[in-house]
Parts: sequence; structure tokens; C-alpha cells
Amino acid sequence: MKKLLAPLVGDASPVTVIGLCKNAGKTTAMRRLMAELEEECLGLTSVGRDGEATDLVTGTEKPDLYIKKGDLFATGRGMMRLCDGTLEVAALTGVMTPVGEVVVFRALSDGYVQLAGPSAAGQLPPLCDCFQSLGADRVIIDGAAGRKSLAGTGAAGTALLCTGASLDRDMGQVVAETAHICRLFSARRPDSAPLCAALDACEGRFALFRPDGEPMELPLDEGGQPRWGKLPRERCVLWVAGGVTDPLLKTLARRGAPLTLAAADATHILAGRAAMDLFLRSGSRLVVRRELTIAAVGANPWSAYGWHFDPGRFAAELRAAIDLPVVNVKEG
Amino acid sequence: MELTRELQEHSGFRWVLDQLTPMSPFGRTAARTLRWYGPGQEAELERELDNVALALDLWNTDGGSPLRGVTRCLPLFHDIRGSFDRDPGSPFDIVELFEIKHFLVLLEQLIQAYETLTPFAGLSFSPVGEALALVDPDGRRLPAFAIGNSYHEGLAPLRSEKSALEKAIRAAGGEEKPALLERRRELAVQEDQLELEVRRDLTRKLMAFREGFLSNMDALGHLDLLLAKAKLARQYSCVRPALSANGSISLSGLRHPQVAKELAERDEAFTELDLELAGGCTVITGANMGGKTVSLRSVVLSLLLFQCGYFVFAKSARLPIFHQVSLILADSGPGAGGLSSFGREVHLLDKLLRQAGDGRFFLALDEFARGTNPQEGAALARALVRYLGGLDCVALMTTHYDGVSDAAGAQYQVAGLVREIDGDQNDDPRRRIARRMDYRLISTPPGAPCPRDAMRVCRLLNLAPELIELLQTDL
Repeated sequence: MKKLLAPLVGDASPVTVIGLCKNAGKTTAMRRLMAELEEECLGLTSVGRDGEATDLVTGTEKPDLYIKKGDLFATGRGMMRLCDGTLEVAALTGVMTPVGEVVVFRALSDGYVQLAGPSAAGQLPPLCDCFQSLGADRVIIDGAAGRKSLAGTGAAGTALLCTGASLDRDMGQVVAETAHICRLFSARRPDSAPLCAALDACEGRFALFRPDGEPMELPLDEGGQPRWGKLPRERCVLWVAGGVTDPLLKTLARRGAPLTLAAADATHILAGRAAMDLFLRSGSRLVVRRELTIAAVGANPWSAYGWHFDPGRFAAELRAAIDLPVVNVKEG
Repeated sequence: MELTRELQEHSGFRWVLDQLTPMSPFGRTAARTLRWYGPGQEAELERELDNVALALDLWNTDGGSPLRGVTRCLPLFHDIRGSFDRDPGSPFDIVELFEIKHFLVLLEQLIQAYETLTPFAGLSFSPVGEALALVDPDGRRLPAFAIGNSYHEGLAPLRSEKSALEKAIRAAGGEEKPALLERRRELAVQEDQLELEVRRDLTRKLMAFREGFLSNMDALGHLDLLLAKAKLARQYSCVRPALSANGSISLSGLRHPQVAKELAERDEAFTELDLELAGGCTVITGANMGGKTVSLRSVVLSLLLFQCGYFVFAKSARLPIFHQVSLILADSGPGAGGLSSFGREVHLLDKLLRQAGDGRFFLALDEFARGTNPQEGAALARALVRYLGGLDCVALMTTHYDGVSDAAGAQYQVAGLVREIDGDQNDDPRRRIARRMDYRLISTPPGAPCPRDAMRVCRLLNLAPELIELLQTDL
């Protein structure tokens, strides 16, 4: 098999495979990456439940994950009966999911697995450590699909972004939306070291700083909500811990005084293209506390809803719009 | 005796239990399941207190180093009681077998560490070797579990065939793959059936040790709870209570830890109390805000702790074992079923007195009958003191009514607002009262009149001067 994805992810661990929508080819990309990394002992898990024969949401056929002997995987206890390899129980995580506690298994033979890992972002790093202590060379996480479910699920480290025809009937829309997400993921930490330190220490929902990291007073109303109209006119940095939404970006853009918005990471930006364009056109900037990297974009021209794009044209248009490697994961 | 939620809350017993820090799920279960040592169980209670004393010694020896082996293991246990509460026909899954193995390996280590200690009375573990051999046939004690080939003679050939097939699948092209996968699926089903057979067999054999598992979990819980009790006693300098020979209560340097903690947060200190309570009713009088209710709660707390096998918050304690310990608080709010606070008090008292024949009891009453008209209330309180004097009980009652203590066996009075201090008019009224108050309980001959401090307290609480003037005129 031609190595398409492995060279793009390099030594990164964990690698999170995320999708822009359901049926964006996430599992196909994951399967491909696993096959390309056949020399490595992999630690596999998912954000929530996935890897099923039939996608629960849309009812379309989805490929199963078939793992090799020696790999580790973490899944809910209730999924055990759907895994057909010879298994060794290697550790319990104490993380509870709707399908029982997440258990780490070692595959003593090849076999199909059903992944249903932790659904909270904070539970992934300890699991990655656990995989590593059990001898995994690299962790691959089957991440969330869809903008809203991406938020806060800790697309840790390096991501593979899967996009496809299932997102929209209009190829132009799919390309533009994918480019938008890539632009968000390209957001970096601020240059100023004191500002970085100040952002790292933020615990509240909102905070205001000077560009050099010096704290500023954030005007609040009686309900404790920031009074956006009363923000200082000079350049300042606004920290927003939760999701950054359309209305917030539009309000900030309409102020007419550019500022720098600091989000937790790219997945916390829920706002759409139009609002983000408006915000950036006002001279404002976007920075993040935690940088995320997209190693490559996987393109799936086949949708689950009956329409398909021309594979060559779809890849070409994505490449024209995005400054990242675009791959067709079904390619040779 | 039933340790009601209300009694636990009002006495501060619940608060003390919340301070316990058992390390294992079994210890937490043991801490929730209160054991009450009643009359006739003196020897068992002494044995439990001996055990707490031994645990305290171990904590105090070289920073608790003798316990290190045990305390390292305890937090690592998982509660696997649920696995043993099953229909014998339903086999353990491999995660349960992993948990059982983990439990046994850890228990084996804990038992080794426990055997180096002076043994606690009545606390022993049943051997785990045989059960452990079932889930760890090669004896390597690895922290993992799989159904290895040694469990069934059919597994090795089947798995080897499957493994060869899986290699072939990896190398196979698109056309031959489906057939190979189908064959692999068949082998996987056969493997699953053999594993099921093994699990059934293991379950049957392990379930034969069920009683041993459960008794070991109980022993772990008891050990953990003893260590937690001793740790608490160490933290709060608690004392081992002695069993009173003559049926009277003797407490010195008594504290209420919850109140003491609240005071410490305000930079104030708890005034330790000394009390001797013989049979019949003892009356406590004294100024408002003088700590009378806290005295009642401290005594009740000591008795509850003692009879549940805990050390008490005092410098020394000599306590009898009661059939029943009760606390009737004046301001615990109206009772259910349409009773006023007075009605509730009377109802509770009545219920209690009806059981009086069952055995010696302790009763603490906070300003009994204060909720009705003072003349009748005082008469009722006097009558109760006299009545309790004739019963097999130790009772403690606070009151503001004169004459109540006439018939009492003994009386204590809060030393009261004795300190003269000037120049803190703008300070917090609570602090001003605290500064002037001597909270000590002074033994007084029964019949001494109740102090008249209400007006001073009102002044210190900044009540409107016009109102105080009217009050003064009236008095």
C-alpha cells in the first residue's frame, strides 16, 4: 500500500482523526493510517461511540476497524462482545461511558473492534499516558464529526481532517467550509510571552488584557456579563473560555475598534465563515491558547445521501483553497 | 438503637463521620454502616477501641511507617462485590476476571504486609492462594488477564490456525479476502465458544470461594475503617473513652469539633468543658449565647462516638453504655403532621418515655417547654426534672426557667458575661459577646436562680436604645 498519510503525520502522537460531518470518510482515513503504520504498536480509542457496522445517525454502511495483533485499544465494557479478537484486559481507566467503564485491551490476535472511548476532553490525556505505559508507540483517536461535537473534545496535537460530499450538495460550499476550518486551525499562540502566560492562567469565562499581557478591567453588567459596548477602544486582548459564536464575533466586529480574540483552541470557535470574515475584516485578530495542527485533509467525494462529486475536481478545488496536503484516502 | 439522620445531624456526629478518610471502597462502605454497641456488648466495644488504640499507635510510630505496606494497597482496590452477587449460571466476563485477579494479587500483597503488624483483634483474612491460582495459573502476578491456552486443550490448535489465517488475510488480495475473512469469522466463533466454556468453569470454581471473597472484603473494610478512625483521633487529639463503672458520665476537656472549627475560622477558640453527670437530671443554666446547647451537643456526640467504637473529642472520658441516647433540640423547627415545635417536643419526649422501661437511657433536652406560656412551661420543666429523677437514666437539660433545678441532681451554670471591656462599640456584636463571655460550666448547688443577662445581650446586639429603655422600666 502506498504510504499517503503516515509521512504527513510524521512522529505525531496522538493523532486525532476528525470529520467535518458524518460520513466524511473518518473511519476510512483511520483504517488507512493504521494500515500504513503496521510496524508500530498502536493505542486506539475514540471520542464517544463510533466504529460501528452501521452508522447510528444516518444508517449507512461504515467500515469496521480491524486491528492487528499487539495493538492496544480502549473501549466501553459493553462493546466487548462486539470485538472478535483474542483479548487481554490490560487496564481499567475508571472513566464511565453510557456503554460502561472504558477498559484498555491488548489484542492477542488480529480482529474487529468497536471503539467507544471517553467523551470528555480531560479524560483523553490520562488514557494516552496509559497507552504509552503499556507500550504503545503512537495513539490514534477516532475524533468527533461535525462542528458542534468537535468543540471541547480535545483534538489533541495533530489532526487529520476529513471532509466530504455529505457536508453539502454544493461542492463550493464544502470547499469553503473546509477552508474555513483549516483557517481556524492555523490560529497560533500570541507572540508575547507574558500574554501567553496570562492566557494559560485564565480560569474565568472572560478576561481582558493589554497586548503585553497586563490585565485590564472588563466592564460587566449587573448579571456579570461583559458589556461589549464599553470595551476600551485601544488594542486589547479578549479571552473567551467557551464557544466563540456568530453573535459574539458580529458584536465585536460592529464595535469598529479592532481587538485580539483569544480562544481555548480552534475547536472552540463555533462561528461560521461569514461572521469570522466580518470579524477579521474589522482588523481584529484571532489567537489561541493551545495550537492544533492539521497534518492533512482527507477528501471523500461520495456522500451518504445520493449525490457525489467528481473526485479529481473535488481534490483540485480543495487544493486551490487550502494550503495543506489534500489526499483521497481511498486512493491506491 | 436507631441512629436517625436527625440525631446524627444535630449532635454533629454526621460531621465527624464526614471527616473520616477511608482509602478503599470497602472502608467507605464500612464507614457508612454504623455499628452500635449496646448494653451487653461491652466486651466487643472494648475490643474495637483496643483496635483503634493499636491503629493509633501504628500511625504514631515513625510517621506511620509500619502501616505503609497496607496503606499502599488499600487505595488500589476496586469494589467487586457486584460480581459475586450473580446468578451462578451467568459466567464472569474477562473484565470481571481481570478485576478478580487484580483484587487477589493486591490482597495477597496486603496480607503479607498485614502479617508483619501486631494483629488487630478479630480481624483476619482467609487465604487467597487457591482462588489466585485459578486466575493466574502461571503464577506471574502480572496486572493483566487473558484466557490463555492453558485453560483449554482446544484453544492452542484453534488459535494457531486462526493466527495463520490472519497472516494470510493480511497478505491477501481483494478477491480471496472475503472467503478468508469468512473462515476467520467461523474460527472466531469457535474460539468464543471455547472461551465461554472456560469462563463458565472458572466462574463455578471461583464462586465456590464466594464466602471467602466477601469475608475478605469485610475484613478489608474493617481494617480501613480502624485506620481511618485512628487517623481522625490523631488529627483531633481524641481520647480513648473508658467504660464507666458506676453508670455516670465524666468528661473533661470536652470539645465539639465542628463548633471549634467554625470558631477557629473566626480566630476564636473553643472553651473546653468539664462535666460530671450522675443518674437523674442535671440542669444547665446561663446567659443566652453562652454555649448551653453546644454543651448538650458535645455530650451527645461523645456518647454516640463511644457507642459506635470511636475515640471522643475530650482530654479524658469515662462513659457508660446506654440503651438509648436522645437529643431533643428546642429550635429544630416544627415537626411533621401539624405539630408545633412545642407539640413536637412533647411528642418526642412521650415516645421516648414510653420506651424508658427497655433499659438505661440518656436524654438531652434543650430549653424544654420554652415554646409555651412561661408559667406552665416552667412547671412542666420542673415536673419533668422530678420525673426523670425517678427513672433509670442520665438526663441533661438546659433552661432559663427559675426553680427547674430545685429537683435536679446537679446544676451547672455558664460563667457568663463576666468580663468588663470598653471601646469595641463598632465591632461585630457576635465578637463583642464572645469577648465578654466566659463559656466555662461552673458547678452550682441545685436551686440557684437563673442569671439575668438578656438585657445585656440585647445591648451588645445593638437593639434600639428606646426599646431597651422601655424594657428597663418594665423590669
